[in-house]
Amino acid sequence: MSTNEPDQITVHGHTHVLKPVNQAPPTPAEMLRIALGLTVVCLIAAVILAFFYYITQPAKEHNQLEREQRTIRQLLNLGPEASIDEVRRYLHWRGNELEVLYLANASLAHLDDDGAELARLDVPDEIRVSTSGDAKDTWVRGRIAGANEESLRYVGRFFVGREKGAAVGYVIEGISVGYKTFIRFFLALDSQFRLQGLEIVHHEEDPGLGDEITQPYFKNQFAGRTRDQIATLEVTKDPLPKEWKLAVESLPELGFGEWLKQFEPEIARHPNIYAITGATISSEAVSDGVKRALGNFLKRMQSVERYL
Amino acid sequence: MSRPPPPVSTLIMRGLFDENPVFRLALSLCPAVAVTTSVKNGLMLGVAVFVVQVLSSVSASALKNVIISKIRIPVFIIIIAIWVTVMDMTLAAYFPEVYEEVGLYVKLIVAFAIIISRMELFSMKNPVVPSFWDGFGMGVGFLVAMILTGAFRELVGSGAIFGIEVVEFKPLLLIVLPAGGFFTIGLIMALFNWVDLKRGKKLPGDYKGCHG
Repeated sequence: MSTNEPDQITVHGHTHVLKPVNQAPPTPAEMLRIALGLTVVCLIAAVILAFFYYITQPAKEHNQLEREQRTIRQLLNLGPEASIDEVRRYLHWRGNELEVLYLANASLAHLDDDGAELARLDVPDEIRVSTSGDAKDTWVRGRIAGANEESLRYVGRFFVGREKGAAVGYVIEGISVGYKTFIRFFLALDSQFRLQGLEIVHHEEDPGLGDEITQPYFKNQFAGRTRDQIATLEVTKDPLPKEWKLAVESLPELGFGEWLKQFEPEIARHPNIYAITGATISSEAVSDGVKRALGNFLKRMQSVERYL
Repeated sequence: MSRPPPPVSTLIMRGLFDENPVFRLALSLCPAVAVTTSVKNGLMLGVAVFVVQVLSSVSASALKNVIISKIRIPVFIIIIAIWVTVMDMTLAAYFPEVYEEVGLYVKLIVAFAIIISRMELFSMKNPVVPSFWDGFGMGVGFLVAMILTGAFRELVGSGAIFGIEVVEFKPLLLIVLPAGGFFTIGLIMALFNWVDLKRGKKLPGDYKGCHG
C-alpha cells in the first residue's frame, strides 16, 4: 500500500476505506465535551435502570419469597393448613467474647458460646409475621446492648414446618462453594432428622455440566438417609446404576413416605453419592455442603430446640 | 450514509449465512461454546441474544445523530447493558419460571462482540428500519448457530436431544466439554465453506480481516 492513498480493507466483498487517524491529542474543549457526554449518558442510563428497578423489584422479591415457601412445602410435604416458622441465627462479638442469638417465632434467645442462656426476649407480632429479613435484623440489633452492624451479623437460618402446632420437619438453608461461586440449597429433615429431600435454590455452575446438580437423579440420591448415613457419605466416580437412577427419580411421584418404604434397603446398598459425569467438583461441593449443614444443624439444635 | 441500505431479504440472509456471526465472523465464540452443551441451552441463549441485538441495533440507529463519535463505543456498551439489565429485571419479576431457565445466560450478553459490532458497522450508518432488520437477521443467525451447535453437541456428547435420551450411552463425552465446542463449530464452519464452494463462490480465505 502506498502511503499517499488511504488504506483500504476488503471484508466479504465490501471495500472499506480507512480514514487517516487523527493523532493529535484532544483539546481541552474536546475533553470537556467527551467527559460531559459520558456523564450525561451514564446519568440517563441510571435513571432508566432505577425506573425499571423501582417497578420490578417488589414483584421480584415477592416471587423469591413465594418460591421459597413453595419449595419448603414441597420438600416437607406440608398440607395447606401447615405453617412455616423461620428461625434466624446471629453471631454477636462482644469484645473477644462470642455470643449466639436465635430469632425464633415466639422468642429471641440470647446464648453464650456454649449454648447457656444469657437472656430471652418476647418477639412482637409485627416482627413475627414480617417477611422482610432486614426488618427482623434491625429489630434484633435494637434489642441487644452495644450491637451494631459490624458486631452483630446474620449468619444463616432454618425453617420449622408445623402441623397443628407440632413440628413435623425442618428445612435448613445451607451454602457451599461450588465450581464458580456459592451453591445455596435447602435440606429437608423429618422430625427424626432423617433427610427427606434436597433442593438447589441458587447456583451458577456451568450449564450442561455442573448444573446437573439440580437434576432429580443427583439431588434425590440424598433422600431417605439417616444422620449417621450422611455423616459417612462419600462421593464415588462409579457410574450411576440404571435401577438406582430410576429409583431416585421416582421420589416425587411416590411421595417421601411411600418411596422410603419401597427403597429403604436400597439406600444401604448405595452408601455413596454417584458423581455427575464431568462435574465431580460440583458433586463434591453439594455432598460436603449437605454433610456440614446437617452436622452444624444437629449441634445447634441441642441449644435452640427448647426455644422453638 | 453513503450507500442506500440493502433490501430486507439481503439483510436477513447475510445474518443467517453470508456473515453468520458464529460460523463466518467467529464472534462471541467463548460464551457460545460455554453454553451450547444442549439444544435447550443454545435456544435460550439464542433467543436472549436475538432480543438484545434487535433492541440495541434500533437504539443505536435512533440515537446515531446525538452520540459523540469519539465515545461511541462506551455508549454502545451502556446501551447494551441497559437492555440486558432491563430484560433481566423484567424476566425475574414477571416470568419467574422462564427466568429460572435463562437467568444464567442473560447476564452474559453484555460482553457479546457481535452486538456491538453490528451497532458500529451498520446501525451508525443506516436508518432505524434497516437497522431493525439487520439486528433481526444477525440475531436469527446467532440463534440458528446456537441451535445447530447445541443439537450436535447434545446428540454426540450426551446421546440425547432436548433432554430426551436417544441412545442409552454417551457416544463421545468430549464434545460436551469446552474443547468439543470448538471442534463442533469448526466442523460446521467447514460445512458452510463446502456449501459456498458448491454455490460456486470463492472460499473466504483472502480477507484482510480484523475480527476479534
